[in-house]
Amino acid sequence: MTRETSAHALWLINGLTLLAAVIFLSPVLYSIWMSFQTSDAYYSGGIDFTLRNYDVAVGQYNFARYLLNSVIVSGIVTLLGISFATMAAFAFARFEFRGGNLMFGAVVATLMIPSHITLIPNYLTLARAGMLDSYAGLILPAISSGFAAFFLRQYIRGIPRALDEAAYMDGATPLKVLWRVIVPISKPAIFSMALQLFIAEWNNYIWPLVAISESDLFTLQIGLARLYRVNPGEDVIDWPLVMAASTITILPVLLGFVLVERHLVRGITMGAVK
Amino acid sequence: MLRKLTPYLFVLPLLGFMAVFTYYPILQSVNLSFREWDFMSPTKPWVGLDNYRLLLTTRDFWNSLKVTAVFALISVPLRLALALAVASFLIRETAVSRISRGAIFLPAVTSTVSIAVVFSWVFSTDYGAINGFIALLGFDKVPWMQDPQLALYVIIFVNTWKQLGYDVIIYTAGLQAISMEYYDAAAVDGGRRFHVFRRVTFPLVMPTTYFLLVISVIDAFQVFTIVDVMTRGGPAGATDMIVNMLYRVGFTLFDIGTGSALAVLLFILLIALALVKARVIGRRVHYDS
Amino acid sequence: MDRKLTRVAGMGLAALLGSTSLAAAEVTVEFWHSFGGSSGDALAEIIANFEEANPGITIEAEHVGNYNDIVARLQAAIPAGRGPDAVIMEVTRYGLFADRGVLMDLTDYLEADPLKDELFDFAREVGVYEGKNYIVPFNSSTPVTYVNKNIFERAGLPENTPLTTYDEILAAAQKIQGALGDEGIYGIAAPGQFARWGLIMDNDSDLIDSVSGEVLIDAPNTVEAYEWMASLVHEHGVASADNVTDEKTGREAFFAGKVGIMLNSTGDYRQSQASLGDDLIVRPLPCNKVCAAPIGGAGIGILSTADAEVQDAAYEFISFAASAESNAIWFAGTGYMPINRNTADQPLAAETLENEPGIRVSIEQLDVARGRPRPPVVTWMRATEYDMWQAMALGQRDVEDTLADFAKRTRVEAGRVGQ
Repeated sequence: MTRETSAHALWLINGLTLLAAVIFLSPVLYSIWMSFQTSDAYYSGGIDFTLRNYDVAVGQYNFARYLLNSVIVSGIVTLLGISFATMAAFAFARFEFRGGNLMFGAVVATLMIPSHITLIPNYLTLARAGMLDSYAGLILPAISSGFAAFFLRQYIRGIPRALDEAAYMDGATPLKVLWRVIVPISKPAIFSMALQLFIAEWNNYIWPLVAISESDLFTLQIGLARLYRVNPGEDVIDWPLVMAASTITILPVLLGFVLVERHLVRGITMGAVK
Repeated sequence: MLRKLTPYLFVLPLLGFMAVFTYYPILQSVNLSFREWDFMSPTKPWVGLDNYRLLLTTRDFWNSLKVTAVFALISVPLRLALALAVASFLIRETAVSRISRGAIFLPAVTSTVSIAVVFSWVFSTDYGAINGFIALLGFDKVPWMQDPQLALYVIIFVNTWKQLGYDVIIYTAGLQAISMEYYDAAAVDGGRRFHVFRRVTFPLVMPTTYFLLVISVIDAFQVFTIVDVMTRGGPAGATDMIVNMLYRVGFTLFDIGTGSALAVLLFILLIALALVKARVIGRRVHYDS
Repeated sequence: MDRKLTRVAGMGLAALLGSTSLAAAEVTVEFWHSFGGSSGDALAEIIANFEEANPGITIEAEHVGNYNDIVARLQAAIPAGRGPDAVIMEVTRYGLFADRGVLMDLTDYLEADPLKDELFDFAREVGVYEGKNYIVPFNSSTPVTYVNKNIFERAGLPENTPLTTYDEILAAAQKIQGALGDEGIYGIAAPGQFARWGLIMDNDSDLIDSVSGEVLIDAPNTVEAYEWMASLVHEHGVASADNVTDEKTGREAFFAGKVGIMLNSTGDYRQSQASLGDDLIVRPLPCNKVCAAPIGGAGIGILSTADAEVQDAAYEFISFAASAESNAIWFAGTGYMPINRNTADQPLAAETLENEPGIRVSIEQLDVARGRPRPPVVTWMRATEYDMWQAMALGQRDVEDTLADFAKRTRVEAGRVGQ
């Protein structure tokens, strides 16, 4: 849709658009700014740079530990989750086997099942296994991703079978075919899915809330929510401190965003547009 | 022989975990919904439909259903309309468009807790940004999150702000998939921009709209985090969404039976909604022939 | 020491699984409690004293949160077998856990312990459920009326303004609001749940009858009490709506000198005093129709799932914590009332009583204080009352309708949970 617009008008429109984008993000941007202010400066309207809030968040409120927990849990969930999903996608895409369609249907059906119905039962299952308040308790329920399996299957189907055949003729086992042929070619898709899994698990709130009560095992999300709710200020909330904690919580996503945005977008649109 | 087993072996890990942590729980929930338990008693006596009866006769349940429905009815059209407008505006692949889209997309992948906390500050009655601005203009501060009439709108605002980027990306892909032929044809007919939009773009982007409709309604019924951090379902139940009630019944009051019944009801509701949507809207979707 | 011998004999009654004598074993007792700040410090001192006197026992204390947090975490921990060994349980909410067998019956321990004669009657009664002892009192309180003298002065209210009826309190709050409202100062902090219960009792009613167990939520006097309390917020505007959605804020605002009157536990005395200094005045609860005060606070219970050795050690600690010495440290350090008759003889306690008239108010109120009902349904009722109160205080729902609904649901729940 091209129309004749003067160069000036174009500049103006672009400028305003960018301004709008900045305004849109201003709450986040300002929260980061606030995290470097002292509490007094904030309430009196002054400006006073400090790293104290981060110091307190990490030292007194254990945020370094929470960061570690989030990294470990999200990392393992992503690794295992993407592995299982890729293996299953490969099987669904390349093999005809009894019950295959039914199983695939079952996998896809989980996309429609909202997570809340599994809350209480999973809590009980892990309670009986003694795995609440442990990394295992956070990791195990989050591994299976029907979403990733579904979209990877689509993707793999698009890879020419000839490549598989060639490998089989060279005497490769299915596992080798998966590892040497399919995976390298599917790297972009796998990476996108892995990113989605990682982010989803990083941001997961309700399950860790339910499963963890020992503060050393909190993830960043729970730690942040607690910090805000428990009100570390004396009679007013210490907002700069809370914002520092919040910034720590979104740090990886912020840092990585520019790099991986493309892949994230691809992951979302893969198969979404029919 | 191994060859034959191979696909099963590959599928096993995924299905195994799904069976344990997704499918079995559904059965468990149904079972528990017919029982009475509080985590402490050694027995879980069968009470039949008592829990369901209790739920359907309490004010809390209907209130949370109403709150969730109102949330969906307002936020879904809002999200779709805004997303479509923004996506159309930013349709060209210029640097500015891409940057803007990226900026709008950032909140969608950002921690919901963090966003909820930041907006708790934005809407904070005493020291928040919005009231600060309002006070500057000389008006009275507004108790955004303490006023039962306003609190839900705050939640809707925050949720829309967060999800907008995701919706925009989907719409962008959808819009870009419309082949140029249609636009050229419309241009030949001398169509003005809005006219083209209404007659050509909107109908052709229906599949995307339908997809987003499904996604955003499901999302509306699963809102939990924003409310839990910002208002806890208050004030006076004005923002008590269904999942918030479920958490409260199951993990604060420890009424496992009723909590499970609630989960089952919600599940059935969502399936029913999906079926209704498929019937009603499925007909009106146009496809590129 | 005689006491120790008696205890060893008492322990013989509880099944000791062929273990060695207590002094030789290294035992750790995991203890969940709700005390932070200066209360936490006082508790730490008591624990340190205990460990010094009992080298074989270590108390691993954890500040879990407030009473509600403890109930929630405990209930969630049980199916996972992750409970503690000893736990602070609030005096109206332990009934549920006693009923389910989660808390151990301490009657035998207590019978063999001379402590039982040292405890005040009210303190001992508070731990009795269905004829058996399940918790040993640790901190006892009643609500009192805290007043900020400075705010009163600035609003033109004399120091001894009568605050004995609802009307008088409202009048004072309105005067403050009128004079100082523009400065962001509120007349009164919206009453928290403990204070609400007290105010209901002052109106000659209760939420649940402590003798018959009858639900009195919809009794006319209860309705009248709630109507008055709710009107403070939504009709007269002398209490902030913030206090309703988050009960902590009322307390914090009072400590910060932004509220004229606060009805709250005597356990807040130390903090109030530290924040307001000479501006603090403590008065008894109002007596709208009668003078009455609920006894609040908590006691320490032992989990049935703990090992026998640990249970014995835990009881040692509990008994020590309720002794006159420890209680004096606690009393002086927090403002919670003495539970042991001999506490007043302790020099620390006597000194505190001398120098701090504010603390005496709660002790004087004991004449009209009574323990509250504690059947299993109270846990549910108190958790649900917050939402009911919010709706009423914010003017969202009519008080009479809300209470009728709440009463009905409580009766239903009592039927489900009770027997």
